[in-house]
Amino acid sequence: MEISGEYHFDAPRSAVWAALLDPDALQAAMPGCERFEETGPDAYDITLRVGISAIKGTYEGTVKVTERSPEDSYRLSVDGGGKPGKVQGTALMQLTEDGGGTRVAYSGDIKAQGAIARLGSRLLGGSAKMLIGQFFKEMDKQVKQRAA
Amino acid sequence: MTAAERPILPKLVGERIKRREDPRLITGHATYVDDLKLPGLLHLAFKRSDSAHGVIKNIDTSAAEQMPGVELVMTGKQLAEILGPMPIGTPFPSPDHYAIATDRVRYVGEPVAVVVAADRYLARDAADAIEVDIEELPAVVDPEKAMQGEPAAVHEGFENNLAVPYVPGGTGVDPATMEVDNSALDKAFAEADVNISQRMTNQRLAPNAMEPRGVVAHWEPGKEQITIWSGTQNPHILKTMIAAQLGVGQHQVRAIAPEVGGGFGCKINIYGEEYTAAAISRKLGAPVKWIEDRSEAFMATTHGRDILAYVDLAAKRDGTVTALKLRLIADVGAYNMLLTAAVPTLTMLMLNGTYDIPVVRAELTEVFTNKTPTDAYRGAGRPEATYFVERAFDMLAHELGMDPADVRRKNFIKKDAFPYTTQMGAIYDSGDYETALDRALQNAGWEQLKQERDQARAEGRIVGLGLAYYVEVCGLGPSASLPTGGWEHAGVTIERDGRITATTGSSPHGQGNETTFAQMLAEQFGVAFDDVTILHGDTGVVKQGIGTFGSRSQAVGGTVLMNAGEKVKKKMAKFAAAMLDANEDDLVFENGMISVKGSPGSGKTFAEVASFAYVPVPLPPGVEPGLSDEAFWEPENNTYPFGCHIVMMEIDRETGEPRLTKVVAVDDAGTIINPMIVDGQIHGGLAQGIGQAMIEEVVYDEDGQLVTGSFMDYAIPRADDLPWFEMDNTVTTTPVNPMGAKGVGEAGTLGSTPAVVNAAVDALSPFGVKHVDMMLRPEKLWRLMQGGGA
Repeated sequence: MEISGEYHFDAPRSAVWAALLDPDALQAAMPGCERFEETGPDAYDITLRVGISAIKGTYEGTVKVTERSPEDSYRLSVDGGGKPGKVQGTALMQLTEDGGGTRVAYSGDIKAQGAIARLGSRLLGGSAKMLIGQFFKEMDKQVKQRAA
Repeated sequence: MTAAERPILPKLVGERIKRREDPRLITGHATYVDDLKLPGLLHLAFKRSDSAHGVIKNIDTSAAEQMPGVELVMTGKQLAEILGPMPIGTPFPSPDHYAIATDRVRYVGEPVAVVVAADRYLARDAADAIEVDIEELPAVVDPEKAMQGEPAAVHEGFENNLAVPYVPGGTGVDPATMEVDNSALDKAFAEADVNISQRMTNQRLAPNAMEPRGVVAHWEPGKEQITIWSGTQNPHILKTMIAAQLGVGQHQVRAIAPEVGGGFGCKINIYGEEYTAAAISRKLGAPVKWIEDRSEAFMATTHGRDILAYVDLAAKRDGTVTALKLRLIADVGAYNMLLTAAVPTLTMLMLNGTYDIPVVRAELTEVFTNKTPTDAYRGAGRPEATYFVERAFDMLAHELGMDPADVRRKNFIKKDAFPYTTQMGAIYDSGDYETALDRALQNAGWEQLKQERDQARAEGRIVGLGLAYYVEVCGLGPSASLPTGGWEHAGVTIERDGRITATTGSSPHGQGNETTFAQMLAEQFGVAFDDVTILHGDTGVVKQGIGTFGSRSQAVGGTVLMNAGEKVKKKMAKFAAAMLDANEDDLVFENGMISVKGSPGSGKTFAEVASFAYVPVPLPPGVEPGLSDEAFWEPENNTYPFGCHIVMMEIDRETGEPRLTKVVAVDDAGTIINPMIVDGQIHGGLAQGIGQAMIEEVVYDEDGQLVTGSFMDYAIPRADDLPWFEMDNTVTTTPVNPMGAKGVGEAGTLGSTPAVVNAAVDALSPFGVKHVDMMLRPEKLWRLMQGGGA
């Protein structure tokens, strides 16, 4: 399933870039993140607790950042599994100047297996949008805290 | 009460007798497989693949094994040591299919391990604790790409994923050599005034029996016998297969189909879960139970339909169809099950429809994909044929501006042409297609409906009329056409108290045989309906049998029951003749009496004669004591019931939502034993046929994930989806069996589906729409109204 969207930060590109790729900020912004361990450059092991309907459960997985093009774009890949099944997602994140702030546009693809696919596919798009929304909102806070 | 005062027993055959099964079914007093309790019963749960296609790298069962109450965990490799690959019922080459996957998984829901535990919930938790490491392979989802070998091979040794590479049939095909001569076909298309060409799909469906599958297996080590209870349509086939798979004699297996809550074809197949339960019960020496949950049923019970067709039709300007050609591609899923490969061949067989078409050609290819395997589903191949043919005829009517009823009438096989051998090789037994068409048109008020449609259109509403005509092959059948054998068996016993107990190999799962068969026997013996009991579904009680599918219960099972009854009746007449000092040929059986013709008060009661037969003093010469006999019978041909379904549909201009406003069905099933049961069968069939057209569809995503895995995403028709059904029958008897009954179990699904789609296309014709594939999703219809493709 394809997903795309964007978020506007009232902060310069350099500040948004720094926060988006900062492990502490990432950990704080990921909804339901219970564990976030760096395992290598731009690679992390994570535990996420998701509480939405058919995809409810605890997921163990990895987060990877690739194709870094500083302050411009990167690719974020998340691969996780739990009792309800497996989820794989990858998104290209693009940062552009936007009236003094920064626009982050994401576009990518989510694949699901197991009960998530069978029971939750109708909800998956909406749930993903909601979780991504929460992520950016929290990231916004992180960016503001750093500026302060 | 003297004989003269006995009440006159009512006529039974042909009467609307309420089903005697229903009180127990609707008051919760029926016993299904899941109701069975045995001491020491253990429970199975299956770990199933979440991947559509992949190599099993590792299965870690350690956590499951350590859970308290878990008796045993087995992977596919371990089970394969005690259980070989599963047998199928078709002659095509087939890949090995183990009950539990051994090295590769090929569809979402394929079992990869089994847990045996003290209770059902524990078993399920333990199955969830099993960790399976699968190396993903590309999922084969699109059958037309699969035929090119893309993107992967589902099975080694089956080039381009071809399960059945290419089977031609019909005009110009030599059935012995399969050599194909295209000259008649090419000539017909070259000389045609009109050519219709359309790709059509008949989408994948989930059968959704109200009762999911279930099995209890009980191997008794002391007796070295197994009893297996299963929600099956055919306990005798189950018995045969279980014996073969366990490597024991058939005398060591007793199979019991207790109450079965619907099957619709999906309970013909003998499944891996049944073999696994039997093998594990023997291994542990303990009874085991497995009950499918609804989520499992969506992915692990066979699916139905899923055939696409490239349809070409050639016709003259006056509506005479001169040739029909179909290239059929069946997406059979990941494996061959019992009858998987045979179902699409029934589509081929029925491509003549009800029409006298001089040239009919079919080419069939069956393709493996990474989906749940298909098998029979109500109609099994015939609804697909009817859909393709009836859509093509409607497209022709539209192209020529003819009334759809007239196009059909013009091409009908005429009443006096039966028996009629079709281009596809079927021998239609009997038919009177015009009478049923006329009745349907009259009942529907066809001319009036056309005016109403045109009036509604003038008002800006989107209204359409759809008509479809079907013929199906039922009463299966001669043994030549069924790998299981095409006969049926019955036993009739007159008990010592004069009650009648009969057994039938036609094991019902909703057909009402306990009622109809009792009607027939009661009338045959002239006794009360309540004095006849029909036993079924237990191979320990019913000596032999085939089972219930292909609308065969009445035509085959009913006939053999009458034959067994006739044998017993003849013998009973000998006892009565001795008691009455009369000639046995002069006796009549009526009103619970056996009397000398012409003197009804002079006879003996049925119970008196029965009692005498078991204590015959003196024993009449040349007669054995007792009253019990049995019979086998197989028909020399199938039966070919037919009918006409008409629907009216209105589509909401704003939302695209279709709504049926009228459904008229005229079905001809030959002789009818119980019109109420026939109505019920048609009623359910119409609902399922309409469900396919309008709201049902199994959907896989591009990775082979089943995304319609629950009733939230897979719709089945509810009462408020359906209008009142106006039903009627014509009766054209068959010469194939003495009663003249053809069968009716599947009929409703045949005509209704194309009739609904024909109505939708008619409704959308002002938008230039010529065809729309099922299901009729409102979004799809809305897009068509906006001028976009579907």
